[in-house]
Amino acid sequence: MSAAKGEHDWFADGPLKDGLPSIVAAAHELKSPLALIRQLSLSIEDGIFCEDEQKRMLRQISLTSESALRLTSDLTRSVRLSEALFTLEPINPQQLCEDIVHELAPFFMAHDCKMKLKTRKHPLLLIANRDLLRRIIMNFSDNALHYTEENTTVEIQIRARDRGKIIRLGIRDYGPALSTNVFESLHGKLMNASTLIHARPQSSGLGLYISGQFADAMNGSIGVKRHRNGSTFYVDLQASNQLSLL
Amino acid sequence: MKPPSILVVEDDNWLSEQFSRVLSNAGYMVHRVSNALSAIEEIDDINPDAIILDVLLTGSTAFALLHELQSYGDTGNIPIIMCTNLANELKLDDLKPYGVKRILDKTTMIPNDLTVSVRSVLS
Repeated sequence: MSAAKGEHDWFADGPLKDGLPSIVAAAHELKSPLALIRQLSLSIEDGIFCEDEQKRMLRQISLTSESALRLTSDLTRSVRLSEALFTLEPINPQQLCEDIVHELAPFFMAHDCKMKLKTRKHPLLLIANRDLLRRIIMNFSDNALHYTEENTTVEIQIRARDRGKIIRLGIRDYGPALSTNVFESLHGKLMNASTLIHARPQSSGLGLYISGQFADAMNGSIGVKRHRNGSTFYVDLQASNQLSLL
Repeated sequence: MKPPSILVVEDDNWLSEQFSRVLSNAGYMVHRVSNALSAIEEIDDINPDAIILDVLLTGSTAFALLHELQSYGDTGNIPIIMCTNLANELKLDDLKPYGVKRILDKTTMIPNDLTVSVRSVLS
Protein backbone atom coordinates (compact mmCIF):
# COMPACT_ATOMS: atom_id res chain seq x y z
CA MET A 1 0.00 0.00 0.00
CA SER A 2 1.45 3.36 -0.91
CA ALA A 3 1.63 6.14 1.63
CA ALA A 4 -0.65 9.13 1.34
CA LYS A 5 0.84 12.49 0.47
CA GLY A 6 2.51 14.04 3.46
CA GLU A 7 2.78 10.74 5.28
CA HIS A 8 6.53 10.60 4.66
CA ASP A 9 7.13 13.99 6.32
CA TRP A 10 7.25 12.00 9.50
CA PHE A 11 10.27 10.07 8.27
CA ALA A 12 12.52 13.09 7.96
CA ASP A 13 15.80 13.31 9.87
CA GLY A 14 16.00 14.84 13.33
CA PRO A 15 14.38 13.95 16.64
CA LEU A 16 11.15 15.78 15.93
CA LYS A 17 9.39 16.75 12.76
CA ASP A 18 6.39 19.05 13.00
CA GLY A 19 6.11 18.19 16.67
CA LEU A 20 6.10 14.45 15.97
CA PRO A 21 8.83 11.92 16.74
CA SER A 22 10.89 11.12 13.65
CA ILE A 23 11.82 7.75 12.26
CA VAL A 24 15.41 8.44 13.34
CA ALA A 25 14.42 8.70 17.00
CA ALA A 26 12.22 5.63 16.73
CA ALA A 27 14.93 3.63 14.99
CA HIS A 28 17.49 4.66 17.59
CA GLU A 29 15.20 3.64 20.43
CA LEU A 30 14.54 0.22 18.94
CA LYS A 31 18.19 -0.53 18.20
CA SER A 32 19.07 -1.62 21.75
CA PRO A 33 16.31 -4.21 22.24
CA LEU A 34 16.81 -5.57 18.73
CA ALA A 35 20.57 -5.84 19.23
CA LEU A 36 19.99 -7.71 22.50
CA ILE A 37 17.44 -10.07 20.95
CA ARG A 38 19.88 -10.77 18.11
CA GLN A 39 22.77 -11.54 20.45
CA LEU A 40 20.65 -13.87 22.56
CA SER A 41 19.18 -15.66 19.55
CA LEU A 42 22.59 -16.20 17.97
CA SER A 43 23.88 -17.66 21.21
CA ILE A 44 20.93 -20.02 21.50
CA GLU A 45 21.55 -21.06 17.90
CA ASP A 46 25.16 -21.87 18.77
CA GLY A 47 23.80 -24.34 21.30
CA ILE A 48 26.76 -24.05 23.63
CA PHE A 49 24.83 -23.09 26.76
CA CYS A 50 22.99 -25.43 29.12
CA GLU A 51 19.23 -25.86 29.00
CA ASP A 52 18.55 -23.64 32.02
CA GLU A 53 20.66 -20.88 30.57
CA GLN A 54 18.87 -21.19 27.24
CA LYS A 55 15.50 -20.98 28.99
CA ARG A 56 16.62 -17.78 30.71
CA MET A 57 17.77 -16.36 27.38
CA LEU A 58 14.45 -17.21 25.73
CA ARG A 59 12.61 -15.50 28.59
CA GLN A 60 14.78 -12.41 28.13
CA ILE A 61 14.03 -12.44 24.40
CA SER A 62 10.28 -12.55 24.95
CA LEU A 63 10.31 -9.84 27.65
CA THR A 64 12.57 -7.60 25.58
CA SER A 65 10.29 -8.04 22.56
CA GLU A 66 7.25 -7.14 24.65
CA SER A 67 8.93 -3.97 25.84
CA ALA A 68 9.94 -2.98 22.30
CA LEU A 69 6.44 -3.72 21.02
CA ARG A 70 4.98 -1.48 23.74
CA LEU A 71 7.13 1.32 22.40
CA THR A 72 6.02 0.79 18.81
CA SER A 73 2.38 0.77 19.83
CA ASP A 74 2.87 3.93 21.93
CA LEU A 75 4.55 5.52 18.95
CA THR A 76 1.62 4.78 16.66
CA ARG A 77 -0.79 6.07 19.30
CA SER A 78 1.26 9.23 19.74
CA VAL A 79 1.36 10.00 16.03
CA ARG A 80 -2.42 9.57 15.77
CA LEU A 81 -3.11 11.47 18.97
CA SER A 82 -4.39 14.58 17.23
CA GLU A 83 -6.84 12.58 15.08
CA ALA A 84 -8.34 10.54 17.86
CA LEU A 85 -10.85 11.38 20.54
CA PHE A 86 -9.95 10.27 24.02
CA THR A 87 -12.56 9.92 26.69
CA LEU A 88 -11.51 11.44 29.97
CA GLU A 89 -13.18 9.85 32.95
CA PRO A 90 -12.73 9.61 36.72
CA ILE A 91 -10.19 6.89 37.41
CA ASN A 92 -8.98 5.31 40.62
CA PRO A 93 -5.21 5.37 40.00
CA GLN A 94 -4.58 2.90 42.78
CA GLN A 95 -6.52 0.20 40.98
CA LEU A 96 -4.83 0.97 37.67
CA CYS A 97 -1.37 0.92 39.26
CA GLU A 98 -2.09 -2.37 41.04
CA ASP A 99 -2.85 -3.92 37.64
CA ILE A 100 0.37 -2.51 36.19
CA VAL A 101 2.45 -3.78 39.11
CA HIS A 102 0.90 -7.21 38.60
CA GLU A 103 1.51 -7.13 34.84
CA LEU A 104 5.14 -5.97 35.11
CA ALA A 105 6.09 -8.26 38.00
CA PRO A 106 7.66 -10.96 35.75
CA PHE A 107 9.60 -8.30 33.83
CA PHE A 108 11.01 -6.78 37.02
CA MET A 109 11.69 -10.18 38.54
CA ALA A 110 13.65 -11.20 35.45
CA HIS A 111 15.81 -8.11 36.08
CA ASP A 112 16.28 -9.06 39.74
CA CYS A 113 14.19 -6.08 40.80
CA LYS A 114 10.75 -5.62 42.27
CA MET A 115 7.97 -3.14 41.79
CA LYS A 116 5.46 -2.12 44.40
CA LEU A 117 2.67 0.32 44.83
CA LYS A 118 2.70 2.52 47.88
CA THR A 119 -0.93 2.11 48.80
CA ARG A 120 -3.12 4.86 50.19
CA LYS A 121 -5.64 4.53 52.97
CA HIS A 122 -7.98 6.99 51.29
CA PRO A 123 -8.25 6.42 47.54
CA LEU A 124 -7.97 9.39 45.19
CA LEU A 125 -9.74 9.87 41.89
CA LEU A 126 -8.28 11.66 38.92
CA ILE A 127 -9.47 12.63 35.47
CA ALA A 128 -7.69 10.75 32.72
CA ASN A 129 -7.95 8.39 29.82
CA ARG A 130 -7.31 4.93 31.18
CA ASP A 131 -5.30 3.70 28.19
CA LEU A 132 -3.08 6.79 27.94
CA LEU A 133 -2.41 6.88 31.67
CA ARG A 134 -1.56 3.20 31.64
CA ARG A 135 0.91 3.79 28.82
CA ILE A 136 2.58 6.64 30.72
CA ILE A 137 3.02 4.51 33.85
CA MET A 138 4.30 1.55 31.83
CA ASN A 139 6.75 3.86 30.10
CA PHE A 140 8.04 5.39 33.34
CA SER A 141 8.33 1.90 34.81
CA ASP A 142 10.43 0.71 31.86
CA ASN A 143 12.58 3.78 32.31
CA ALA A 144 12.93 3.17 36.05
CA LEU A 145 13.99 -0.40 35.43
CA HIS A 146 16.95 0.86 33.40
CA TYR A 147 17.97 3.28 36.14
CA THR A 148 17.41 1.25 39.22
CA GLU A 149 20.08 -0.93 40.81
CA GLU A 150 19.65 -4.71 40.96
CA ASN A 151 17.78 -6.03 44.00
CA THR A 152 15.98 -2.75 44.59
CA THR A 153 12.28 -2.01 44.49
CA VAL A 154 10.80 0.56 42.14
CA GLU A 155 7.88 2.28 43.83
CA ILE A 156 4.74 3.81 42.40
CA GLN A 157 3.55 6.66 44.59
CA ILE A 158 0.20 8.43 44.43
CA ARG A 159 -0.02 11.84 46.04
CA ALA A 160 -2.45 14.73 46.17
CA ARG A 161 -0.96 18.17 45.53
CA ASP A 162 -2.12 21.75 45.35
CA ARG A 163 -4.80 21.21 48.04
CA GLY A 164 -6.06 18.09 46.35
CA LYS A 165 -6.59 19.69 42.94
CA ILE A 166 -3.76 17.74 41.33
CA ILE A 167 -2.93 14.07 41.66
CA ARG A 168 0.69 13.10 41.11
CA LEU A 169 1.65 9.56 40.10
CA GLY A 170 5.38 9.13 40.57
CA ILE A 171 7.68 6.24 39.71
CA ARG A 172 10.61 6.24 42.10
CA ASP A 173 13.78 4.36 41.19
CA TYR A 174 16.80 3.68 43.36
CA GLY A 175 19.81 3.94 41.13
CA PRO A 176 22.65 6.37 40.66
CA ALA A 177 21.31 9.93 40.77
CA LEU A 178 21.12 11.79 37.48
CA SER A 179 24.21 13.90 37.04
CA THR A 180 23.61 17.63 37.50
CA ASN A 181 23.98 18.43 33.82
CA VAL A 182 21.61 15.64 32.75
CA PHE A 183 19.14 16.74 35.42
CA GLU A 184 19.32 20.39 34.38
CA SER A 185 18.85 19.51 30.74
CA LEU A 186 15.92 17.24 31.64
CA HIS A 187 14.34 19.73 33.95
CA GLY A 188 14.53 22.48 31.35
CA LYS A 189 13.07 20.26 28.67
CA LEU A 190 10.25 19.01 30.85
CA MET A 191 9.11 22.59 31.21
CA ASN A 192 8.57 22.62 27.46
CA ALA A 193 6.14 19.88 26.49
CA SER A 194 6.99 20.01 22.80
CA THR A 195 10.67 19.30 23.41
CA LEU A 196 12.13 15.84 23.27
CA ILE A 197 13.13 14.59 26.70
CA HIS A 198 16.23 12.47 27.26
CA ALA A 199 15.70 10.15 30.19
CA ARG A 200 18.85 8.21 29.72
CA PRO A 201 21.89 9.30 27.79
CA GLN A 202 21.65 6.37 25.38
CA SER A 203 17.97 6.98 24.88
CA SER A 204 16.55 9.21 22.18
CA GLY A 205 14.02 10.21 24.85
CA LEU A 206 11.23 9.01 22.62
CA GLY A 207 9.42 7.14 25.39
CA LEU A 208 9.30 10.18 27.63
CA TYR A 209 8.41 12.44 24.75
CA ILE A 210 5.44 10.20 24.01
CA SER A 211 4.46 10.23 27.70
CA GLY A 212 4.57 14.03 27.60
CA GLN A 213 2.25 14.01 24.59
CA PHE A 214 -0.17 11.62 26.33
CA ALA A 215 -0.17 13.73 29.51
CA ASP A 216 -0.78 16.82 27.43
CA ALA A 217 -3.81 15.17 25.79
CA MET A 218 -5.26 14.69 29.29
CA ASN A 219 -4.51 18.30 30.35
CA GLY A 220 -1.69 17.05 32.51
CA SER A 221 2.09 17.29 32.55
CA ILE A 222 5.12 15.16 33.28
CA GLY A 223 8.26 15.95 35.26
CA VAL A 224 11.27 14.53 37.05
CA LYS A 225 12.68 14.92 40.57
CA ARG A 226 16.23 14.05 41.44
CA HIS A 227 17.05 12.31 44.71
CA ARG A 228 20.34 11.48 46.35
CA ASN A 229 19.88 7.85 45.31
CA GLY A 230 17.71 7.88 42.21
CA SER A 231 14.92 9.78 40.51
CA THR A 232 11.16 10.08 40.41
CA PHE A 233 9.46 10.54 37.05
CA TYR A 234 5.91 11.74 37.54
CA VAL A 235 2.71 12.69 35.80
CA ASP A 236 0.42 15.37 37.26
CA LEU A 237 -3.28 15.14 36.41
CA GLN A 238 -6.45 16.95 37.49
CA ALA A 239 -8.18 15.44 40.48
CA SER A 240 -11.78 14.38 40.05
CA ASN A 241 -14.43 16.18 42.13
CA GLN A 242 -16.57 13.09 42.17
CA LEU A 243 -15.62 12.06 45.71
CA SER A 244 -16.46 15.44 47.20
CA LEU A 245 -19.95 15.19 45.69
CA LEU A 246 -20.64 11.94 47.49
CA MET B 1 46.95 -20.29 35.98
CA LYS B 2 44.56 -17.45 36.77
CA PRO B 3 42.31 -16.62 33.77
CA PRO B 4 42.54 -13.07 32.36
CA SER B 5 39.97 -10.75 33.92
CA ILE B 6 37.65 -8.69 31.77
CA LEU B 7 35.55 -5.79 32.99
CA VAL B 8 32.26 -5.25 31.16
CA VAL B 9 30.90 -1.70 31.49
CA GLU B 10 27.36 -1.84 30.10
CA ASP B 11 24.16 -0.37 31.49
CA ASP B 12 21.80 -2.78 29.78
CA ASN B 13 21.78 -5.49 32.40
CA TRP B 14 20.78 -8.32 30.09
CA LEU B 15 23.27 -7.40 27.40
CA SER B 16 25.95 -7.20 30.06
CA GLU B 17 24.88 -10.64 31.28
CA GLN B 18 25.06 -11.93 27.70
CA PHE B 19 28.60 -10.59 27.22
CA SER B 20 29.56 -12.15 30.54
CA ARG B 21 28.03 -15.47 29.49
CA VAL B 22 30.00 -15.52 26.23
CA LEU B 23 33.30 -14.47 27.80
CA SER B 24 33.00 -16.80 30.81
CA ASN B 25 32.31 -19.65 28.42
CA ALA B 26 35.56 -18.76 26.64
CA GLY B 27 37.43 -19.04 29.94
CA TYR B 28 37.70 -15.43 31.07
CA MET B 29 36.98 -14.12 34.55
CA VAL B 30 34.26 -11.50 33.99
CA HIS B 31 33.29 -8.56 36.21
CA ARG B 32 30.32 -6.38 35.38
CA VAL B 33 29.41 -2.78 36.22
CA SER B 34 26.71 -0.51 34.83
CA ASN B 35 28.20 2.98 35.06
CA ALA B 36 31.46 4.87 34.78
CA LEU B 37 31.75 5.61 38.49
CA SER B 38 31.45 1.96 39.49
CA ALA B 39 33.87 1.11 36.67
CA ILE B 40 36.57 3.31 38.20
CA GLU B 41 36.13 1.64 41.60
CA GLU B 42 36.16 -1.83 40.06
CA ILE B 43 39.24 -1.06 37.97
CA ASP B 44 41.05 -0.01 41.15
CA ASP B 45 40.03 -3.25 42.83
CA ILE B 46 40.60 -5.84 40.14
CA ASN B 47 43.00 -4.21 37.68
CA PRO B 48 41.38 -5.90 34.65
CA ASP B 49 43.34 -7.19 31.69
CA ALA B 50 40.83 -5.63 29.26
CA ILE B 51 37.67 -3.54 29.36
CA ILE B 52 34.54 -3.91 27.22
CA LEU B 53 32.99 -0.46 27.22
CA ASP B 54 29.61 0.81 26.08
CA VAL B 55 29.62 4.46 24.97
CA LEU B 56 26.43 5.92 26.37
CA LEU B 57 26.07 5.09 30.03
CA THR B 58 23.84 6.39 32.79
CA GLY B 59 25.64 9.32 34.44
CA SER B 60 29.03 10.00 32.86
CA THR B 61 29.64 8.69 29.35
CA ALA B 62 32.43 6.35 28.33
CA PHE B 63 34.51 9.33 27.23
CA ALA B 64 34.73 10.65 30.79
CA LEU B 65 35.93 7.21 31.85
CA LEU B 66 38.50 7.09 29.03
CA HIS B 67 39.89 10.47 30.15
CA GLU B 68 40.04 9.28 33.74
CA LEU B 69 41.87 6.09 32.82
CA GLN B 70 44.42 8.00 30.79
CA SER B 71 45.23 10.20 33.79
CA TYR B 72 47.00 7.32 35.53
CA GLY B 73 49.98 5.33 34.30
CA ASP B 74 48.68 1.94 35.39
CA THR B 75 45.13 2.26 34.07
CA GLY B 76 46.14 4.04 30.87
CA ASN B 77 47.58 0.82 29.48
CA ILE B 78 44.46 -1.34 29.86
CA PRO B 79 43.22 -2.26 26.38
CA ILE B 80 39.67 -1.14 25.72
CA ILE B 81 37.10 -2.56 23.34
CA MET B 82 34.24 -0.18 22.67
CA CYS B 83 30.96 -2.01 22.11
CA THR B 84 28.23 0.32 20.98
CA ASN B 85 25.21 1.03 18.80
CA LEU B 86 27.01 4.17 17.66
CA ALA B 87 29.95 2.36 16.07
CA ASN B 88 29.48 4.03 12.71
CA GLU B 89 29.83 7.43 14.36
CA LEU B 90 33.19 6.59 15.96
CA LYS B 91 36.63 6.42 14.38
CA LEU B 92 39.15 4.03 15.85
CA ASP B 93 42.03 6.36 14.97
CA ASP B 94 40.49 9.15 17.08
CA LEU B 95 40.13 6.83 20.04
CA LYS B 96 43.45 5.01 19.89
CA PRO B 97 45.18 7.63 22.09
CA TYR B 98 42.63 6.68 24.79
CA GLY B 99 43.60 3.02 24.78
CA VAL B 100 40.75 1.89 22.52
CA LYS B 101 41.94 -1.08 20.46
CA ARG B 102 38.72 -2.24 18.81
CA ILE B 103 35.22 -0.93 18.13
CA LEU B 104 32.40 -3.46 17.96
CA ASP B 105 29.00 -2.62 16.52
CA LYS B 106 26.32 -4.14 18.76
CA THR B 107 23.87 -4.23 15.88
CA THR B 108 26.03 -6.34 13.55
CA MET B 109 28.47 -8.26 15.76
CA ILE B 110 28.09 -11.96 16.46
CA PRO B 111 28.69 -13.28 20.01
CA ASN B 112 32.03 -14.77 19.01
CA ASP B 113 33.34 -11.33 17.90
CA LEU B 114 33.63 -10.43 21.55
CA THR B 115 35.90 -13.38 22.34
CA VAL B 116 37.94 -12.86 19.18
CA SER B 117 38.46 -9.17 20.03
CA VAL B 118 39.43 -9.87 23.62
CA ARG B 119 41.87 -12.56 22.53
CA SER B 120 43.36 -10.22 19.98
CA VAL B 121 43.86 -7.26 22.38
CA LEU B 122 45.34 -9.52 25.03
CA SER B 123 47.84 -11.09 22.70
